[in-house]
Amino acid sequence: MSEPDVIKPEMMKSYIWLQTADGSIQQVEQEVAIFCPFICHEIHAGMGSSKTYPISLPARVNPVTLSLILDYCRFHQVPGRSNKERKSFDEKFIRMDTNRLCELTSAADSLQLKPLVDLTSRALARMIEGKTPEEIRETFHIPDDLTEEEKLEPLKNITDDPRIRLLNRLYARKRKELKEKEKLKNVEVEAEHVDDRSVDELLSFINGENGDSKEVKTAKNKKKNRRRKEQQKNAPPVCANSNTSSSPSNGTKESNGVSSVSRDDRVKGHCLPNISELLKLQDSEDDRFALDDDFDDCDIGDGIDPEIKEQIDREVEDFARRLNSDWPERVQELLSLGQERRPSLYSINGNGCSTKRSNASGLEKHEK
Amino acid sequence: MTYSFPEEVLEHVFSFLTSQNDRNAASLVCRTWYEMERWCRKRIFVGNCYAVNPRVLIRRFPEVKAVELKGKPHFADFNLVPEGWGGFVYPWIVEFARVYPWLEEIRLKRMVVTDECLEIVSKAFRNFKVLILSSCEGFSTDGLAAVAANCRNLRVLDLRECEVEELSGHWLSHFPDSFTSLESLNIACLSLEVSFSALERLVSRSPNLKTLRLNRTVPLEKISKLLQRAPQLADFGTGAYSAEIRPDVYSSLQEAFSGCKKLKSLSGFWDVVPAYLPAVFPVCSQLTYLNLSYATTQSPDLIKVISQCHNLQRLVVLDYIEDMGLDTVAVTCKDLRELVVFPSDPFVADANVLLTEEGLVSVSQGCSKLQSVLYFCRQMSNSALISISKNRPNLTCFRLCILEPRAPDYLTFEPLDVGFGSIVENCKELTRLSMSGLLTDRVFEYIGKHAKKLDMLSVAFAGDSDLGLHHVLSGCESLRKLEIRDCPFGDKALLANASKLLTMRSLWMSSCFVSFGACKLLGQKMPGLNVEVIDERENLNLLPENAPVEKVYIYRTVSGQRLDMPDFVRIMGKDKNGVYNLL
Repeated sequence: MSEPDVIKPEMMKSYIWLQTADGSIQQVEQEVAIFCPFICHEIHAGMGSSKTYPISLPARVNPVTLSLILDYCRFHQVPGRSNKERKSFDEKFIRMDTNRLCELTSAADSLQLKPLVDLTSRALARMIEGKTPEEIRETFHIPDDLTEEEKLEPLKNITDDPRIRLLNRLYARKRKELKEKEKLKNVEVEAEHVDDRSVDELLSFINGENGDSKEVKTAKNKKKNRRRKEQQKNAPPVCANSNTSSSPSNGTKESNGVSSVSRDDRVKGHCLPNISELLKLQDSEDDRFALDDDFDDCDIGDGIDPEIKEQIDREVEDFARRLNSDWPERVQELLSLGQERRPSLYSINGNGCSTKRSNASGLEKHEK
Repeated sequence: MTYSFPEEVLEHVFSFLTSQNDRNAASLVCRTWYEMERWCRKRIFVGNCYAVNPRVLIRRFPEVKAVELKGKPHFADFNLVPEGWGGFVYPWIVEFARVYPWLEEIRLKRMVVTDECLEIVSKAFRNFKVLILSSCEGFSTDGLAAVAANCRNLRVLDLRECEVEELSGHWLSHFPDSFTSLESLNIACLSLEVSFSALERLVSRSPNLKTLRLNRTVPLEKISKLLQRAPQLADFGTGAYSAEIRPDVYSSLQEAFSGCKKLKSLSGFWDVVPAYLPAVFPVCSQLTYLNLSYATTQSPDLIKVISQCHNLQRLVVLDYIEDMGLDTVAVTCKDLRELVVFPSDPFVADANVLLTEEGLVSVSQGCSKLQSVLYFCRQMSNSALISISKNRPNLTCFRLCILEPRAPDYLTFEPLDVGFGSIVENCKELTRLSMSGLLTDRVFEYIGKHAKKLDMLSVAFAGDSDLGLHHVLSGCESLRKLEIRDCPFGDKALLANASKLLTMRSLWMSSCFVSFGACKLLGQKMPGLNVEVIDERENLNLLPENAPVEKVYIYRTVSGQRLDMPDFVRIMGKDKNGVYNLL
């Protein structure tokens, strides 16, 4: 029980004293202040009744946010208001700059003022909706502390199958190796040799079932890859940070070294991780390039005769180049050929494969 | 003073982010957000069950309450995916049972679900509430009986177009008398009769029942009884809508419908006897969804019903509605958002109904809120398509099926390139497109140039060369699902745009010219993709490099090799041990 310290007796109101972290003290109508559970508890504990015993507010409440909070409380503690009125007030109230909104949210939370926490949290959620991670970071000035690898969904210990673990290590090692390679521009052949043996053992275990004569050759190529995989074994699954993850999306640019810049930019820009499939994409152009060079070095494509592979690569590159520079002409070609171009090419897989139940145009089922 | 985002409320803020995309974006902002987000994510959506595997999912998200998984590619609906291909949900269920005892909701689409799966579901999750199986197969009524008997808190049991091995109709009787939480029951796809008295008792003791979709075997005369017991229903699907014409049956039916003040959705209507249609008139003005696609009723009767549905938002009908009926729709249903018109007789060459492109044009003119169209017809013209695109630039989903493959503009005999081009150019928010008719590479040029928000594209019997595919892959920035059949697309465009495939969920190509060698190359070069060659011929390994494969299904994945493939599926560039190898 505290004696109200009333300044103007005719106002018949009780006041309590609040102190913010900066030391400043102010008095507030009790009926307004008790709207905050924190303050309410403090009052019941006997605090706040005089200037010498003010209620110390949590550090996250500064005079500005306190003022806002009290405005909020002052409005909402009046019982007679309609829902519409309250909603309208809230909508206007919440309009403030991002900085202030964040401060206010923190303050409201520390004062346990749930309705205001809800209001501010919703506002923050609205500011997040529809944005990319980068845009969100910009809005709230949040530093990006996830590495490019961490943005990928790491291939952790998927099963207990050691062969899968090896695959993971392969990816992780490869990425690490490439980063180093980028920096040093130096390939360390000797170090690779040292690792060879133990990896080979594993490889022969894996390839044992194949009984493939290509085994040896494959092993050789594989080992180059494997070597690059260091640890990444048992990174704590929870923490993304320890993992230079096994990127599933290595070599996105593959053999087509001449792909148009615009396409890459598009891919890059649209590496919006569609994590509805829990798959994140790397957006590090450099790594991609480096990785491709590396694949070529390794002479991957083992099953295909390297000459033929080169031919395919060249053809693909040619085609891409042509497409990018010549295609207006090609379009002209096509247009001038006009309707005569009938699908005689279709004969291979023609119409035979289709109909059955699927209707003639074969694209839409009679869904019911 | 620099502020920081109030992390103490991070979880609370996330609780207001409902879309998967927003949660995904939030998880990538920084480490703290990533950690917080994964601990509080409750709903998971996996669009391709082979893009990830259960362990990865579980490791990242420990507190999941609701899971949605999709299995087979869309073209499985047209029997293009051979039996046994995959999409087995069992390994997922086993893991969920182990780790998420508080799982409440499972939604599956195009997956193989066994009775054992259903049994595990019924016993492993104490608080299980929602089971929605869409186009699934592999289970029998025994599995359903297990769910009925054991899921004490079940709210939703929804079987949409599933293939169920029906051993008996008794499964429904397995819901115990103490079971009262049912909110939604959809058994429309079942063909065996269920015990009507069990059904009636179930409905009577389910005060929260909002959705009830019966199967064909429930006779018309008995519907009024059910409706009387559940006047709170919002969504009702009749059984066979036929009976001898008897005034008492009719009047009790009409009265029962009148009593359903909250009814907004109607479906069912197999074997309609037109004389009974007016019984639904009392509820027509309430309806927002009407599905008459089983009703082989002629246009005049359909018009009588539809002309009273002023608030209709989604309409599904057969082409019996004809152009005249669609004119009525255009005049009456001003709130229409979605129109679906199925063919009554797709395998007949000549039109036996007066449904042409005009009907669609009419609706596009009259219904300003129309966003989604699935339309089967026998003729189309560029001018009609252009009109539609100009009338309705707000279209988001446009699926047109001209029944005859490669049918040209019936007025000018030209390809329909310009018409579809107009659609993609004017409808800037278009996210789904499915085309038909005679189409050259030119239409793909238009699509690549304009369809920037296109998410899913379905193509058949179209195009002239690889240029077509290249236009789409290089131009459609938002493309995530591409499915192609019987088009002259080969290796070049595919290989030249390989990196694009990592930004997409999947690409399906069947009966095209993609070679075995190209598949191999793609699989080797792109470890982030599974390049599945689906080919039922023998001696696949002896196929020459340049021979075209029957089907190829390419999807991005973090899960690596599938371990459950039948022998007609090969993942190229990786050996069967799941190790990145070079075959």
